[in-house]
Amino acid sequence: MAVATDEGTIGGGGNGFFDFLGGLADYASQPGVLLPGILGGLLTGGAYEDLSDIGRQAILGTTVDGVRIPGAMELAETQLEQTQFRPFTVTTATGAGFGTRVDPVTGEVKTTMGLSPEEQAMQRQLLEGASGFFTGATTDPSVREQELYEQIRATTSPQERRERLGLEERLAAQGRLGVRTAQFGGTPEQLAMEQAQQTAMAQARLGAAQQARQEQLQQSQLGQQFLGMGYVPQQQLLAATQPSQQLAALQQQAQLEGAGLFGEAAMSGLEARLIAEQARANLMGQIGTGLLSGAFTPTQTSPVESAIGDFIRGIGG
Amino acid sequence: MAQELRSINLVAPAFKGINTEDSPLAQDPSFAEIADNAVIDKRGRIAARKGYDLLTNETITVSDTTGFTVNETIVGSRSSASATVKAVTNGTQISIETSRAGIFSAGETITGGTSETTAAFTSVAPTGFALGSSAIRAIKEFRDNAGNSKIFSVGNNKIISGTTTLVDETPGSYTITADNWKMVDFNDSIYFFQRTYEPLVYSNTSGAVEKMSAVNGASLVADIPKANEVIAAYGRLWCADLLGDKSTVYWSDLLIGQNWTGGTSGSIDISKVWPDGYDEIVSLAAHNGLLIIFGQHSIVVYQGAEAPATMSLSDTVAGVGCVDRDTVQQTGTDVVFLSHTGLRSFGRTIQEKSMPISTLSRTITKDIIGLIQGETEFFRSIYSPEENFYLLTFVGQETTFCFDIRGTLEDGSFRVTRWPGSVFTAYERLTDGTLYAGTQYGIAEYKTYSDNGTRYRFKYFSPSLTFGDASRLKILKKIKPTLVGANSATVFMKFAYDFGTSYRTTEFTVGNQNPAFYNVNEFGENSNPLSEFTGGELTNQRSLNAVGSGTTVVVGLEADINGFALSLQEINLLALIGKMV
Repeated sequence: MAVATDEGTIGGGGNGFFDFLGGLADYASQPGVLLPGILGGLLTGGAYEDLSDIGRQAILGTTVDGVRIPGAMELAETQLEQTQFRPFTVTTATGAGFGTRVDPVTGEVKTTMGLSPEEQAMQRQLLEGASGFFTGATTDPSVREQELYEQIRATTSPQERRERLGLEERLAAQGRLGVRTAQFGGTPEQLAMEQAQQTAMAQARLGAAQQARQEQLQQSQLGQQFLGMGYVPQQQLLAATQPSQQLAALQQQAQLEGAGLFGEAAMSGLEARLIAEQARANLMGQIGTGLLSGAFTPTQTSPVESAIGDFIRGIGG
Repeated sequence: MAQELRSINLVAPAFKGINTEDSPLAQDPSFAEIADNAVIDKRGRIAARKGYDLLTNETITVSDTTGFTVNETIVGSRSSASATVKAVTNGTQISIETSRAGIFSAGETITGGTSETTAAFTSVAPTGFALGSSAIRAIKEFRDNAGNSKIFSVGNNKIISGTTTLVDETPGSYTITADNWKMVDFNDSIYFFQRTYEPLVYSNTSGAVEKMSAVNGASLVADIPKANEVIAAYGRLWCADLLGDKSTVYWSDLLIGQNWTGGTSGSIDISKVWPDGYDEIVSLAAHNGLLIIFGQHSIVVYQGAEAPATMSLSDTVAGVGCVDRDTVQQTGTDVVFLSHTGLRSFGRTIQEKSMPISTLSRTITKDIIGLIQGETEFFRSIYSPEENFYLLTFVGQETTFCFDIRGTLEDGSFRVTRWPGSVFTAYERLTDGTLYAGTQYGIAEYKTYSDNGTRYRFKYFSPSLTFGDASRLKILKKIKPTLVGANSATVFMKFAYDFGTSYRTTEFTVGNQNPAFYNVNEFGENSNPLSEFTGGELTNQRSLNAVGSGTTVVVGLEADINGFALSLQEINLLALIGKMV
């Protein structure tokens, strides 16, 4: 029995290997062995080569009856091309536009949106308004409070002035203009009027403060509203692109499915061929293997087998 | 045929007082051309005024190492009745009035008299007399809430208390250079106000005169008005007339005279209220809920002064003002004051709106205006319901007018007499009705009928009498005066014709007529029989011969009053009516 040794030899002692080969040659040179062996070897080798070709064709494709059958690579490229994103554009009724494109360099999908001039003007106005409102909302309320207070005072001051003049006239008529008291400062009437006016002023101040803060809140709310409204054209544009996007998605889906079907179909044909070729190769391989095994197997040969052997040997001739 | 004597009876002559305004010929004989040192007595007669009795004793430190000698001349005169020699050292010259002869010794009391022929003395210095050589400028009785009384006066740049002995009460470190103080008694304290001076306060609690700012609860010195006029009314002190502030009235806190900045204190500037644009406050008065503000030539009246913060203008009078703070007197039902045209009452002035008819001194208008314009010192006045007069003294001119306030004449003026040579420099009516007068010699009381032992002259001169026909000659034959009182007085009856000033005089002396009252025997106690006594008043009638003639006749009567009252009941003139000239 041949075993692998450290010396890299195969055999069993003496000139073992060459002895073996001599023996093998002797054996093989026997007519009942040589022909089937050669034939089996050829068939097996052919089957082997066919399998190799099948794999290659599976990758690179082949031509059958003049029809080009794409291989996996070609099919992949074809499907890649088939499933490539297809840019589309959307134009709304108000003139806004939405577009997509693929960067030829980077392959990135890029979108562009554009509003109509009217929408842009509206958006600008709204955003500027929002900015103004937010500016107002973030302004120190005391400034506005002072403005409001002065406005309130402007409305009440004339009446107060009239009342003060009236009191002054009454006091003058009563000879009391010059009254100064530790208790009231001036006269009790002057104190009462001063208290009333100071109360009114305090209320005006309080009202102005409340109004200023309310306005500040309103500014903030208006700013938010304007800001939101400022993006409405854009939102509407985006909303308008939704059906298109769905269509595009459907198209993409169909595209993908078509590419899939194409691939599957192409691959199914290729697979069928590959299977057929594989089966053929297997068959040839089995035949070759049978011949070889028959050649090298000292067994009773049936008439059939002999006939076949003869045939093969005849072929091998 | 002898012509019948015509009798002209001047009953109660001059009971209408002086009248120097109307023409003598047209005058009612009831007026007088002159009525000096006279009053209208209780029966409506012209009578001699009372004199004054000096209450203040003069305590003098006599400096003399050699002692007084007989006929030694003591230069000058103090009319005090007595002086006490307390020490004997060398000093300056002084004069006292005394009849004492001989050598004084230390500690000796000099009993004064009226003689001025006394010992000569060259080394005497008066000390311990708060008044010095000045006169009393103001007197005020302070009565605390317990009814205790203390007399304060001012003079010689001092705050003085007491009557018989004048005690310097001026606070330490308080310099006074003027005596124009006004004092008011208010809520258990007496307050002293004078322009530019921090007010002073005395209360029995502190027991001393002190600066107002030192009193508990007082305002700061800068906030206390340094006013010249002050009154106490409606529970507050009211003051005005400050240096540089002549239009503001200040009032203190309620019942707290030293608080001018807190509580219900205050002020009112009436510079915009004067009816004729500008004026200066001279005096204040309170009457019937009103605050009366006297300007120099206008009056402003506020009502509701009980609550000064709300008091309001009630009335204004233009053209009539007050001459001087010290001429305003309340008579209970009215306020009397001296205007530039004479004496006026507030009530009538308000009622008649300064019409000239409202003057109370209409019979002496020119005289009083002349005195007002000629006055260089100050005015003093007093109202005495007991004596029924309002005295108005022109101190610099030593003239006092005495207005009888019991009634008015047909023209609404008071009956007035004149006290020339008046030495009164201040007045105060005490709560009990006693009338005090300030003099150069201290405090005196208005009583008796001699000026501290010195006689004074009572004068009456009638207007020019025509006996009903100015064109006919009158030949006086008899003058028959009827006098009441005048015990032991020497009376001079005078008469002149045709507006002449050279009077013919006839003199008589009223006898000693000491009245004999019940159980007081005319001839001595316990004499027998107890049979003679008289009424309270002695009447003396005389019949004097007269000579000369003229178309008009002026009759006068003069008498030195020296201890006894004198009233002129009537003068009966007997005359022949001669030819027409």
